Amino acid sequence: MRHVAFRAAGEGPLDGDFDFVVVGSGAGGASAAVTLARGGASVAVVEAGPWRDPSDYPSSAYGGMRDLMDDFGSQVAVGRALWPIVQARVVGGTTVINSAICVRTPGDIFAQWEAQHGLTGLEAPVRAAQERLERELSAEEAPEASRGRSNLLAKAGADGLGWSDSHYMVRYVKRCAGAGQCLQGCRGGQKQSLNLTFVPEVLSRGGTVLSCAPVERLVLDGRRAAGVRGRFVHPASRAKGASFFLRAKRAVVVAASATHSPVLLLRSGLKLPALGEFFRAHPGTGVFGNYDSPVDMNVGTTQGWASMAFRQAPGLKLETLAIPPELVASRLAGGGRELMERLTRYRHFAMWVHAVRAESTGTVKPSLFGRPVVRYTLDRPDMERFRQGMLLVARQHFAAGARSVIPGITGLPYELTADQLPLMESAPLDPRRYVAILSHLFGGCVMGRDEKTSVTDARGRVHGVQGLVVADASVIPTNLGVNPQHTIMGLAQVFAQALLDEGAPARPVPAGTVA
Amino acid sequence: MLWLVRSAIVALYPSGGALPGAADCGLDGFLRRFRREAPALVWLGVVLGALVFHFSAFFTVFVPLPAFLLPAGLRDRHASRIASTNVYLARQGIFLVKLAAGLCWGADAEVRRRLALPPLPADPGTWRTS
Ligand SMILES: Cc1cc2nc3c(=O)[nH]c(=O)nc-3n(C[C@H](O)[C@H](O)[C@H](O)COP(=O)(O)OP(=O)(O)OC[C@H]3O[C@@H](n4cnc5c(N)ncnc54)[C@H](O)[C@@H]3O)c2cc1C
Ligand code: SF4
Repeated sequence: MRHVAFRAAGEGPLDGDFDFVVVGSGAGGASAAVTLARGGASVAVVEAGPWRDPSDYPSSAYGGMRDLMDDFGSQVAVGRALWPIVQARVVGGTTVINSAICVRTPGDIFAQWEAQHGLTGLEAPVRAAQERLERELSAEEAPEASRGRSNLLAKAGADGLGWSDSHYMVRYVKRCAGAGQCLQGCRGGQKQSLNLTFVPEVLSRGGTVLSCAPVERLVLDGRRAAGVRGRFVHPASRAKGASFFLRAKRAVVVAASATHSPVLLLRSGLKLPALGEFFRAHPGTGVFGNYDSPVDMNVGTTQGWASMAFRQAPGLKLETLAIPPELVASRLAGGGRELMERLTRYRHFAMWVHAVRAESTGTVKPSLFGRPVVRYTLDRPDMERFRQGMLLVARQHFAAGARSVIPGITGLPYELTADQLPLMESAPLDPRRYVAILSHLFGGCVMGRDEKTSVTDARGRVHGVQGLVVADASVIPTNLGVNPQHTIMGLAQVFAQALLDEGAPARPVPAGTVA
Repeated sequence: MLWLVRSAIVALYPSGGALPGAADCGLDGFLRRFRREAPALVWLGVVLGALVFHFSAFFTVFVPLPAFLLPAGLRDRHASRIASTNVYLARQGIFLVKLAAGLCWGADAEVRRRLALPPLPADPGTWRTS
């Protein structure tokens, strides 16, 4: 059992040989690694961020940005507007800071992948993997006692409007205490993020985990992936430490996220026409409802209610979301005494959000310094969906009894009453007027049959390179219209199983041989 | 630069109302920590936002003075207008200043008490070392 955290430069380089080297320990990486380890292979997981347990989690939003997020949460998609991209950089990846919502891949997605991308044979094994994941990670509906008023109001509003779907969410959470802190990591340990589940299991099965260890390049031996190289980085001082070189006897599995995986492949000299292309997202935003009596949205499950009623048309998912006062302060328009006055209503706010099933695509390419640069702008139909989603959420607030809503659209009044909603209906579609966030990301190394328009096949194997598999959000070739982690985990486990099946029978190896 | 950022924040989150202002929330210590711990580009963005705040009063309240020299009432009007300006990049710069300040303000024990939230324990800043 071996976890190597930061290693200083003076301690000398580290190298080792494994059957499989997995880059990234998030939804995709940890799920693939645990499958490989269960299959008896020797596995090394190499993770850029540190390993933090619930007792290490920050409690403030500032601490969350500093300790858990990739680049302090400062990455933005560059387009007509600058919209933040949120991801984690920590063992367990974004599962540490997400809300653990677990939604099976809808059947229409597999049909679309088959029809448009020639991807066959995925539905049955992904479904089987998802059923297993639900058992292993304790998928549970948000318990009644911890739902909190914001989630209850959302349900009442949606039911009042007669929406065809309105439900409390199923999440990978064991007996949620409703602490409303999912975005800073669940300090009670109820959330079954993968730093608490699959990564420790990999270790206990004799695997190796390197943390604080960003991979800089894949090592290619002709057209075969032979291993990975990088240097440890200290999680507090960001000082560079020792270098490492891990060889993969059977395959390198890249699962560094939709922004980092394509960039890692590009930085390593891979040239495929679709690499870094077809980036997609579910951009989302929130509308505050302002209620007469306190809602206290931070009491109760962070995200406990959702509706899929609009997933097919116009292409939206609606959810609740509790954000702490630190973030509400900057999210409300205005400054000075006016802002302070607005903040006095904090307890009366409920924030509900939408995620748009956007069809627009962008690119992810490395900057001069090798960091991901995402270019992405929503086209007009997507912006129409975006505005329509806000309107639906606003109506839901009114149906739940809100006295006004706060849409956060520049140029519109700060607050709108129900009879002012037509102003929102005709709000300009310029993305610069909206505050949005990208948290569900896809593409960059998309799966497909055609080597000109895809990077991997239906088992994540990179076209034209042996022993190189991508197993994270970057392989997903379309939007999903549902929260993606369950799909990512299911795919990663199917890809890992295919790797086990295709090679020589794996010998149970006690541990990687780290020098 | 720290002073410039601080004075923009104090104008955006002033004291004297029903809730504590940023100046009442350990702002100096927070800003020193933020400058030390945030990536250089993030800090640069906040500084640029503060510069926009201070040198745009002519466009909001039509007075050719930096915001830190304005009388309190006028500075408050400037804070309100510049935070909602139609000039996208200027608004983004101010947003960054507001975001950094909000991280300090919203974590303050007294602010949280007034918002019926429990105080936050200190961030441990630790990780597994073995
Ligand atoms: C705030 C938030 C809430 C969300 N809530 C939900 C939810 O409730 N349900 C849901 O289904 N989805 C949710 N999502 C989305 C979901 O978490 C992500 O889609 C999913 O985690 C992506 O999986 P991944 O494996 O592609 O990347 P990640 O989980 O981000 O993992 C990638 C890992 O690779 C590491 N890495 C990057 N570069 C390197 C490198 N060079 N070397 C080594 N390691 C590297 C990163 O540090 C990271 O740990 C949420 C996302 C966010 C931001
Ligand atoms: S709502 Fe609270 S208790 Fe429930 S999973 Fe999130 S952080 Fe944990």
